[in-house]
Order: sequence, then structure tokens, then C-alpha cells
Amino acid sequence: MAEEHQMLLVGTAKGLFILRGTNGKWKIDGLHFAGRAVYSAFFDQRKGRNEMWAGPVSWHFGAELLKSTDMGATWDAPERMRIKMPANTKKALENIWQIAPGANDDTLYVGTAPGGLFESHDRGETWKLNSGLWKHPHRKKWNPGFGGLCLHTIVTDKKNPMEIKIAVSSAGVYQTADGGETWVSSNEGIKAYFLPNQYPEFGQCVHKIERHPKKKNTFFLQNHHGVYRSRDGAVTWQEIENGLPSNFGFGLTVSDSGSVFIVPLDSDGVRYTCEGRLRVYRSRDEGKSWEPLTKGLPQKNAYEVILRDSVASAGNNIFFGTKNGKLFGSGDDGDTWKLIEGSLPEICCVKAYQF
Amino acid sequence: MAITVHLSGYLKPFSGGETEITLSGEYATLDDVLDSLWQRHLSLRDRVLTETGDIRQHVNIFVGSDDVKRLKGLQTSLKANDIHIFNAISGG
Repeated sequence: MAEEHQMLLVGTAKGLFILRGTNGKWKIDGLHFAGRAVYSAFFDQRKGRNEMWAGPVSWHFGAELLKSTDMGATWDAPERMRIKMPANTKKALENIWQIAPGANDDTLYVGTAPGGLFESHDRGETWKLNSGLWKHPHRKKWNPGFGGLCLHTIVTDKKNPMEIKIAVSSAGVYQTADGGETWVSSNEGIKAYFLPNQYPEFGQCVHKIERHPKKKNTFFLQNHHGVYRSRDGAVTWQEIENGLPSNFGFGLTVSDSGSVFIVPLDSDGVRYTCEGRLRVYRSRDEGKSWEPLTKGLPQKNAYEVILRDSVASAGNNIFFGTKNGKLFGSGDDGDTWKLIEGSLPEICCVKAYQF
Repeated sequence: MAITVHLSGYLKPFSGGETEITLSGEYATLDDVLDSLWQRHLSLRDRVLTETGDIRQHVNIFVGSDDVKRLKGLQTSLKANDIHIFNAISGG
């Protein structure tokens, strides 16, 4: 049997850990950026360049985008921060919520609070704020969630660089078909129970969206109360909640097999795993039904919170981290789970890679 | 006029390891001193101030023993020769 290697970038409230695994055995490297929270990380393997990116935020000295070219052994220290809000916005960067590859190999995107999308087309050397989204007429009516006005999800299409979908809390889903010149809201069918008009054009608190690995137009979405699927390229959304104990949660991932994974939490008023049981829910039929996965997960007194970027997959290996600092993994598409680390700081993001 | 800027130890990575920096020149306001400080250690600028030119929320600057956020911010007049830049005690 061939050896299987994985790498996890685990961002926590106190820094970044890099975990390297071979056939289910893990070695942990860290803490990088001690004392700084890390909500975003990305390993860029394109063109064989092996560059790590992370967005540590010091609540005192600000958020910045840093790079490592030696697999995390050292990180660069630019004099001026790479990601800065332009003066004409009269805004300051609050946090970096997402680092994502563009369709072109030299393109990177960064999602931020206050709701800004930054783009680089030269491997991260220079950055600019996407003005089409920044100047969108809806913006003045967007409202920040608890984490600020965070642009937390960026989905690109490897075959079509012009097509990008993003999600902002609390603005909803937006997409462009012209590379970011113009953006349209894409929230039809998504509920905003906390607004008088519960199906508005925008203003939904979308927590995460992800594309099906083999079906270009199929997307899944975890909302602030609501789980949805789209089959028309994230234009319209349909509820897929049959069999779930709650429709509230944050993280979502889709494995290579097409299985969808979420971790439902009790309502937004309490925000912990339903009934104090840590259950991952999997759908193998694109959301028509869900099944609880419990093997290897605590089923008593497990009051966990799993944040929006803390569920990840690489191939059919699934991982998730909790605010209590537990990191779990499954190597069999979710059938069984193992605790990888149990006492990390609050986990803010998990990024998984397979080699 | 010589001004000594005292930095929190957490800022050492951005000041070449220095925590006391003496600057000589004609300074009327805190802003004048900081401009001079940035020329010496540009990395400090983005960590102390935001893009909007404001002192970061959880950074405190004192002229003598006066918190400039309670005075005129960067436009605070220099009535002492010592400036302290601290991280606030906020955290979690």
C-alpha cells in the first residue's frame, strides 16, 4: 500500500500549527506567530513553488499577510503590511479571513474584514482591493456579524478565471462572471430569519459555501440557520435539512467522493453541539438525507463549537477543529474518527492538503 | 531638542531590537516625532497606526505621563521629552 502524506495548517487563537501526517501518524510543528490569532492560511503548491501563506492578527498591532518559502521554518517580515485598505476607503484592515488560489496559477485572493476582496496576479508580490465589489451599491446596507464584516469564502473556477463566488457575513453570496469587474448578489432562497423580510436580495448571514468537486454548478451552503444546495451555479438555493438535528452551524466541506460534511450546533442562541454530543453529519446524496457520524467522537458532555473555516478535507480525509482546541480526523470519508490533538488553543481554521 | 521614544518589548521585532530610541530635531507635536521614528524604523509605522492614520485601538501612546488619546492624539503638543508606546493591557 502506497504511503499517504497529509499536511494540516491549523490556525488557532494563539498561533499557527503545522501538522504532517503519514498513514495516520502525525507530527506537530509550532507554535508559529505565538500570541497572534490565525484565521487564514494557504499552502500554494502551484508550479511547484511550495509557498505557505498565513494571516496572523495581533489584536494590538494589526493583521498582516506573511509568507514562508521553507515550509514554515521561517516567515518573512515585510516592512509595510501587504494588505492595506486604500486611503480613499477611510477604513482600516481588521482581519484576514481567507487566502485562496485564483484560477490562474499566479493569482491569489484574500478575503478581509471590513468586507474587502484583495487580489494579486503576481504570486503575492503586489495586491489591490477589488474595486467592483468594494463599490457595490449594496455595501452601505451590509451589516457586520460578530466577527466583523468578514469576507470569509472565496470559490474560484479552475477552468474559468472570470468566475468567482464569495460570501460575506452578513451580506450573503455574491458572484462575478467578468473577473471581478461587476458583482451580483446570489441569495435567492436563502433565509434571513433575523430580518423583517426573511428572503431579501442580500443581507443573509452565510457562514460557508463550497463547490461539489465534480459538478461545476452544484454548491452547498451552511447558513446562519439553514443548510442549502444550489444546482445552478449558486444562483438559487434549496433547503437540504432532512435528518439534521439543527440547521445552525458554521463549517462545511465536500470530500473528493462528493460527500458533504457539516457539524450542526444547537440554535444561534446557545451555539454548541446538539445535546452535548459531537456528531458530524454526512450526506452522500447531495443533501437529500443526512446521517450522523459518531465512531471515535465523544457522545457525552461534549459541548463543542466548530467555526466556519474549521472543517476541511483532502481527498477523502476529513478534519475538523473545535473552539476547545480538539482536532479530529477521519481517513475513511467520515466513517471513523480519531483525536489528533486535544489541547490546542481555540481552533480558528483548518486547511488540509494531500500529497 | 532630543526626544526619547520608549517602546514596548513586543515591538522589538519592528525596531531592530531597540526599545529606547533617541531622536534629535525640532518637534512641535507627537506626529512630528513619529514621522522621524518611521524614518528610522519604517516597520513600526503599520504596527502602531492604522491605514487611516489613527493610533491602533489597543496601542497607547504617552507624552510624558499623558495618554494622547485623551488629548489631541497625534497632534498632541510635546510637553515632555519622553514618549512611551505601549500595547494596551487588553487581551484574551
